Amino acid sequence: MSSNYERTAGSRKRLDAWGIAGWVFLLLLLVFTVVPLAWMLSTALKTQLGALQFPPRWIPTNPTTENFRMLLDPNDDIGRRFLRYMLNSLWVSTATTVVGVLVAVPAAYAFSRFRFPGRNSLFYGVLLRNMFPAVIFLIPLFILMRNLRLVNSYGSLIITYLTFGLPLSIWLLKGFYDNIPVQLEQAARIDGASRFQAFIRIVMPLSAPGIVATAIYSFILAWNEYVYALTFITDDRKLTVPVGLQRFFSEYVANWPGLMAAAFLMSIPVVVMFLVLQKYFVRALTEGAIKQ
Amino acid sequence: MGRVILDNVVKRYRDVVAVDHVSLTVEEGEFVALVGPSGCGKTTTLNLIAGLLELSEGNIYIGERLVNDLDPKDRDIAMVFQNYALYPNKTVYKNLAFPLQMRKTPKDQIDQRVRETARLLSIEPLLERRPKELSGGQQQRVALGRALVRNPQVFLMDEPLSNLDAKLRVQMRAELKRFHQDINATIVYVTHDQLEAVTMADKMAVMSGGLLQQYDAPDIVYNQPVNTFVAGFVGSPAMNLLSATVEVDGDTTWLRNGNDWASALDAKRGAIAQSASTDAVIAGLRHNAIHLSPTETPGAIPVRIYTVEPTGDLTFVHGYLGDLLIVASVPPGTQMHPDDIVWATFDLDQMHLFDGVTQMALASEA
Repeated sequence: MSSNYERTAGSRKRLDAWGIAGWVFLLLLLVFTVVPLAWMLSTALKTQLGALQFPPRWIPTNPTTENFRMLLDPNDDIGRRFLRYMLNSLWVSTATTVVGVLVAVPAAYAFSRFRFPGRNSLFYGVLLRNMFPAVIFLIPLFILMRNLRLVNSYGSLIITYLTFGLPLSIWLLKGFYDNIPVQLEQAARIDGASRFQAFIRIVMPLSAPGIVATAIYSFILAWNEYVYALTFITDDRKLTVPVGLQRFFSEYVANWPGLMAAAFLMSIPVVVMFLVLQKYFVRALTEGAIKQ
Repeated sequence: MGRVILDNVVKRYRDVVAVDHVSLTVEEGEFVALVGPSGCGKTTTLNLIAGLLELSEGNIYIGERLVNDLDPKDRDIAMVFQNYALYPNKTVYKNLAFPLQMRKTPKDQIDQRVRETARLLSIEPLLERRPKELSGGQQQRVALGRALVRNPQVFLMDEPLSNLDAKLRVQMRAELKRFHQDINATIVYVTHDQLEAVTMADKMAVMSGGLLQQYDAPDIVYNQPVNTFVAGFVGSPAMNLLSATVEVDGDTTWLRNGNDWASALDAKRGAIAQSASTDAVIAGLRHNAIHLSPTETPGAIPVRIYTVEPTGDLTFVHGYLGDLLIVASVPPGTQMHPDDIVWATFDLDQMHLFDGVTQMALASEA
């Protein structure tokens, strides 16, 4: 009894030492990520003059929402352009996500459930693309897009993002389907469902967290992408936000508050998506990894 | 309820034959157990009946219909899986309702059937729970309920009890048997546990290597195994199988194993032994057909005890007869210890004889 007690006490103490180290590490990580974000928000609320003040201040002396108003005002020249970029990004990212999920779900399911000739080589073939840095494909894809007359179109970006995002989406989702016992579908088929009905009514709801995670992943990938958007799109009306921001940077080089406000607005959709769906996302990452 | 006919059923995976020309008939209302060691083809056979796998050859009839090319949903069967396969995102009620919904049963009828089934299986208080909130036994019952809810022609069960703990398994075994009697269901039941088959089934089909070895009532399979595989598989502890050569010495027929042992046979068994294709035979003796005695008697064979297992109502003694490990039972409390030499005599009335070459039972002992 007493030795048992000591052992628990000992392990708790050891846990505490590791615990403290863990907390310190996490705290550093938190500071590292939060400080730039806080600085971004702080600067976005400053006036042009306030941003250049020395020594810099965390709390703006005359906080203003003028920068946001300017960016979100469709009657303002800058606002019109910024909103246009946002809409472009939204369209490209959403299309990438929707098409990606529509393709990845059946593909992953097939890889998980069916044995067909060439299954393995196809599966690893799908992953082959991810073994090379994306930049390698920049010139070949640009030439391809030019020949397809897709330069300066949203399509060029959607197709490109799909080729990057799909392999990992399929890989991620396959892990999900592998973990759903095949007997559930068999039971459904015996209970009166067709193969397709069994998939829609039994498998789909169970894989919802995985699908949500995959969707978020594709969306963020497309939303943040810069190099391809810069190369494929030259028409100012079709630029996506990351490239558009860079234009701001060069045209309004001194306007730090405006740039920070734009950066802040750009990060909102992703943050909101995470907050709404984080429950699924966490479940996806854990459930996909651990076998029941 | 309907009957199931398997007619020369074959399932091949490339060059592996998983089920090899199996033919058997499950009569209406019969409880048939498919038994055999892992990989013997019993689950494959069940999946072929269910339609979850495609036949390579042969025909399967359910009721009076040929179902070879029918989808599982059109075969009018229900299945209970080893892991129960309850839909984890649905409540018990919805799990039970699902088969009826898929068949477009009117809502009020669904409700009535679900509640009736729940009452029958005493799971009414659980209807609003989800599968993961249930114990193993409760999940098992829900799985049974989902099969029962729509009066199928045949129930298929794939090791439904093997995930339960020992005590619950015995209890559910009794419940399943009672369930079979109450609703007069046709049941095809897969198990690797021959005890489940013996205790519950009307008939058992013993499979090995994709082949159907024997298909008969459990007591016949137990008492008249057709070959050494069935003899060794059915019954616990397994039957002792002793290789021997037949020697005829005047009127007496002897079974002899080198210098280890020899045993004289009576006239009837002598004749049976001599009918073997060569002089090689295998004598099959269950634990209760070998008598062990601490004192030497004429004709007794020495056995060196390896270990002694008291089980309460019987004590099993494992020992070396020559270099073959055999098992015999003695009344509880008998004083025997490892490395003692004891003396074995065979009960000829309970001796099975198999051909040493073909491994098939010789004649019938009837």
